[in-house]
Amino acid sequence: MSTSPDNILEISDVEVVYDSVIAALHDVSLAVPRGKIVALLGGNGAGKSTTLKAISTMLASERGKVTRGAITYDGVAVKNQTPAEMVGHGLVQVLEGRRCFGHLTVEENIIAGAYSRKLSKADIKAELEKVYGYFKRLRERRKSQAGYTSGGEQQMVAVARAMMAKPKMLLLDEPSMGLAPQLVAEIFNIVQELNKKEGVSILLAEQNTNVALRNADYGYIIETGHVMLHGAADELMNDDKVKELYLGISKEGRKNFRDVLREESASHADLHHH
Amino acid sequence: MTEILFFIEVVVAGLLAGTMYSLVALGFVLIYKASSTFNFAQGAMVFFAVLSFVGFMELGLPFVLAFFVTILLMGVVGFFTERLVLQPLMNESEDTVLMATIGLGFVLEGLAQAAWGVEVRRLDLGIGDFPIPWIIESTGLFISALDLTAGLVAATMIIGLALLFKYTKMGLGLRAVADDPGAASSIGIPLPSIMLMVWTAAGVVALVAGMMWGARAGVQFALVDLALKALPVLIIGGFSSIPGAIVGGLIIGASEKVLEVYVGPFFGGGIEVWAPFVLAIFFLLWRPEGLFGEKIIRRV
Repeated sequence: MSTSPDNILEISDVEVVYDSVIAALHDVSLAVPRGKIVALLGGNGAGKSTTLKAISTMLASERGKVTRGAITYDGVAVKNQTPAEMVGHGLVQVLEGRRCFGHLTVEENIIAGAYSRKLSKADIKAELEKVYGYFKRLRERRKSQAGYTSGGEQQMVAVARAMMAKPKMLLLDEPSMGLAPQLVAEIFNIVQELNKKEGVSILLAEQNTNVALRNADYGYIIETGHVMLHGAADELMNDDKVKELYLGISKEGRKNFRDVLREESASHADLHHH
Repeated sequence: MTEILFFIEVVVAGLLAGTMYSLVALGFVLIYKASSTFNFAQGAMVFFAVLSFVGFMELGLPFVLAFFVTILLMGVVGFFTERLVLQPLMNESEDTVLMATIGLGFVLEGLAQAAWGVEVRRLDLGIGDFPIPWIIESTGLFISALDLTAGLVAATMIIGLALLFKYTKMGLGLRAVADDPGAASSIGIPLPSIMLMVWTAAGVVALVAGMMWGARAGVQFALVDLALKALPVLIIGGFSSIPGAIVGGLIIGASEKVLEVYVGPFFGGGIEVWAPFVLAIFFLLWRPEGLFGEKIIRRV
């Protein structure tokens, strides 16, 4: 795959191995166009988090390694950079499970997000105000210890914290996890806003296929470390197999894409199977 | 009346000695927060730091210069510790890192003695270990000038460090790393530079504690074991808490002196060496996470 300047992120044929023996990704290829939201869908253990960590270089701290393929972010090959260097280039990952600094206040958490930037006190205040503009709920909670705020608020803290690094691209890992539907909607509205107003490109890993596709421009479905299907979000929403397997409209006996593909040799013309 | 005065004297002397324990315990807490490990090398760092300081003075460096050169040296020790010990063990379990700190302790003890020799040195800070006249006159209490100085220096350093962590960018980074190193790394906080800062700060704390103790008992190998008094302090205060280190130090300092004076004679004296550890054991039975520590959920 040749890299295109229209894409902020391109991954081609990436294989990831943990502990030198356990292969978590086999041949994942995907692209995120500048300014777009791309959803990475799949169940537990499909390889969503691994893909994100391969991009943010957080893999290294978990004994994981990209053993094949190439990752290109903003025209630069991602190889041995540290996560801090990637943040410096504007790529920030919001980890699964929110991961707030529990003993810090909400505001301290958010300010910590600006650690990689050289900002004056006044700059930080201005940035903080901007972030509170998106996350209005957090302004009221600014003095609370983050560990004692609700799950939804912690997810907002995690995204707000990442925004303080002034990212060109966010990697969001399961922002909907464990949250009530109205909170999920609230968070995705903010994500949409950040995408539209700040121009942040977003790669979104989600198990909640429905919400993710409604908010994304494009989607990839991965299973056991392979991309099974990809297409525009609205096409995927209307795809029979996606409906059956990921949106809960089920036929009996078929559990994943492998089974479906085995049954149906013919595929939809407008979707690209691997 | 004189008995009450005597009791107060014992407690005050204990509290002042306790501030030194607090200071050493603070060194442990810093590293515990950043690396989630008990740094067994802290005692060796105390010995290494103050022996180097005395060594530089013997080479003819003036007091202040020797002090700053030693701080620089502790920064170098911190740098190599981060590069050669912590970074290669980054993905290993906390127990592995704990064992590595024991090894680091041996290396530092060996290096210090290889460089500066093994004989006991005298360290004269120009502050005598005698009662301060104006305190005797005004209150009737016999308080040692060295005790008082050590207490004030320790208190100043503790307050300084606490402010540093609360109000500086580096401090915010450290607290973030202490809470969740993975999340800190994901938002661009560089772990190596935080580690370097923490180990250097622990080195400075070790130097100051070593100077105060060394001024009283001589700069010698026994400082390594003296620093382990921080263990009961941390068990009482909690391993991850700065206020815990302070309060724990004061409790240990005061109670060991009181026990020594009032209970010691029944055991033939000298119980302050081990009494804090007995106290710590009872504390472990009652409240294993310490007064200020976080509830421990994980099995060790």
